[in-house]
Amino acid sequence: MRLEKCWFCSSTIYPGHGIQFVRNDAKIFRFCRSKCHKNFKMKRNPRKVKWTKAYRRLHGKDMTQDATFEFERKRNRPERYDRNVVEQTLKAIPLITKIRHDHLKKHIADRHKPGKLKEMQKDSKELEQDQHTHILPKKFNSNEPSAEKTKVKVKVVQQQTQDNYMEE
Amino acid sequence: MGGKCPHRKVKKRRLSHKTARRGKFLLKADDAVYDELVKLADQGKEAEAKELPVDEDLPGMGQFYCLHCDRYFASESVKDDHYRSKRHKKRVKLMSGPAPHTQLDAELAAGMGKPDNGLKLMSM
Repeated sequence: MRLEKCWFCSSTIYPGHGIQFVRNDAKIFRFCRSKCHKNFKMKRNPRKVKWTKAYRRLHGKDMTQDATFEFERKRNRPERYDRNVVEQTLKAIPLITKIRHDHLKKHIADRHKPGKLKEMQKDSKELEQDQHTHILPKKFNSNEPSAEKTKVKVKVVQQQTQDNYMEE
Repeated sequence: MGGKCPHRKVKKRRLSHKTARRGKFLLKADDAVYDELVKLADQGKEAEAKELPVDEDLPGMGQFYCLHCDRYFASESVKDDHYRSKRHKKRVKLMSGPAPHTQLDAELAAGMGKPDNGLKLMSM
């Protein structure tokens, strides 16, 4: 079973899916769905359409270089069947996909970094500039703790009296 | 463009668009033109001097051809006019840019490696 890639969006095409166009110079164009086929017929450039892999790759949105990209390849020279090799390959597939996902996660986190740093700097700058508006005057600052305590005491007394009335 | 269709009573559908579409399929695609230009650039000056084959069916006997736009013209002056047009200049700009998207590009973008053709066969 050969899994092909869509000419337009680079997604995997499983057998029985999509459509294939053979141009009169014998070049084959495979499409995963009618969306991609229509975009091709409109002569759109996949590098300029934002939802395609080609665009995302070109603009640094996806990983471009990774060791895990070396495994999946089109092999034009068929390999001789070997039971052990097949077994090991099947074992390795989930492992490799996991590693790839981890790398992707790291790539996304790294891409978020500059924005987050900028935000932090902006916030700290704002705090520094507007400090005088946030801090309360000295008068309130010194009285605050004592005032609070008295308030609490009063509240408790009031509650107790209310409860007593209710019981009676 | 488009000839008249007989037996078509609805006004909108009276014209046939077959002839207009025929030209669309005869035109070379971007990547084919690009390959041709690259081939020409590799050959150098020799290819430019080469004479075009005479074809009665083409405009101007197929002697006035624009490679970038894949079009034949009736005479030298018409061809020169075309070279000065905006459409041609845009086309030249497009062709002098990066190579058009191919299936290989799509596969690389999908996270596949380069195709593995195996060891060279001992045919020498």
